[in-house]
Amino acid sequence: MGALRLILWIALHLGRSAARTLLYPITLYFLVTASTQRRASRDYLNQVLDRPANPLDTARHIHTFSATILDRVFLMADRYDYFALEIHNHKLIAEQLAAGRGCILLGSHLGSFEILRATAIVKRELPVKILMYPRHNEMMMRILSELNPALNDSIIPLGQPDTLIRTKECISQGSIIGLLGDRIADSGKTVNCRFLGKETLFPQGPMLLASILKSPVFLFFGIYRGGNHYEIRIEHFADEVVLERERRDESIRIWTQRYADRLQHHARLAPYNWFNFYDFWGSDEASD
Amino acid sequence: MESLSPNALEVAQLIVETLNLEDISAEEIEPDTPLFRDGLGLDSIDALELSLGIKQKYGIQLKADDENITEIFSSLSRLTRFIQDNR
Repeated sequence: MGALRLILWIALHLGRSAARTLLYPITLYFLVTASTQRRASRDYLNQVLDRPANPLDTARHIHTFSATILDRVFLMADRYDYFALEIHNHKLIAEQLAAGRGCILLGSHLGSFEILRATAIVKRELPVKILMYPRHNEMMMRILSELNPALNDSIIPLGQPDTLIRTKECISQGSIIGLLGDRIADSGKTVNCRFLGKETLFPQGPMLLASILKSPVFLFFGIYRGGNHYEIRIEHFADEVVLERERRDESIRIWTQRYADRLQHHARLAPYNWFNFYDFWGSDEASD
Repeated sequence: MESLSPNALEVAQLIVETLNLEDISAEEIEPDTPLFRDGLGLDSIDALELSLGIKQKYGIQLKADDENITEIFSSLSRLTRFIQDNR
């Protein structure tokens, strides 16, 4: 808590450049101490790079992650002036909003999802609500909502009985709903998909939600390209996710696999932007 | 096991049908068992589907800001009472 507050203080008082010099010792610290994350990083990089990852790869991976976490502070503090955003296919979303239709924007832990907030504000589209677990990053969230109390209004907490009823209301009022599709929750339904050559579990939630709400789905990738440069890619995914009643499970799998394929495509293009620092394929348990 | 009131049984049938529950029949749902998590194990996707089912069958629109949805969905008997009060 103390270290985090110190970093925040430096970031907000001395600026982004000063704070970024801290990224090197921070990277080194995690490289030395965070053995689980280091192993997860290496396993992932082996898969995505198609060669054995070396310690420099892992350092670069951790450094990229630390840089985007630091940038989250500036994004949440509304310091959008720091960033150069390159936004592709933004018109896809603009057309939806102009027609008064809400939509689902499905992201991932590849790159920064937080940059969505900046994208929305830069493009003057404020109705973005992000579905997230409040207990994740609880400490960070508490500090950041002190910084920017309006932040809480843009978050719909996941895991409550009313979470998706609220979500439905927001979409029908023309909001963009952001959610992440690559991490499974403690209790949610899952589906087996292939990712980087191996089977793993993805959550069913995003496709179930999209099919129930009958709302269009777009994919969102906020890739960090170094310096102050973020490349934002929006892709059309589906006008409506239709699950066939007769073979519902298979339909969910096919739709989710399509998402996993796009995620894989972008992971190969920006391998160090992968911010799932745990055993993504769950092979630790499987091999025991 | 005490048997359900006709109203509660009707709501229980709605739950089982809307959510395609296979492991439990309407008669087996206990009036006071929590519907979510530890009890019947429903999640927020189920809550959304159930709210759409309630709207279709009873014409009642659940609104996240107006009602305490967590409380309404806390048990079959609470949900039944809510539907009786609002239909």
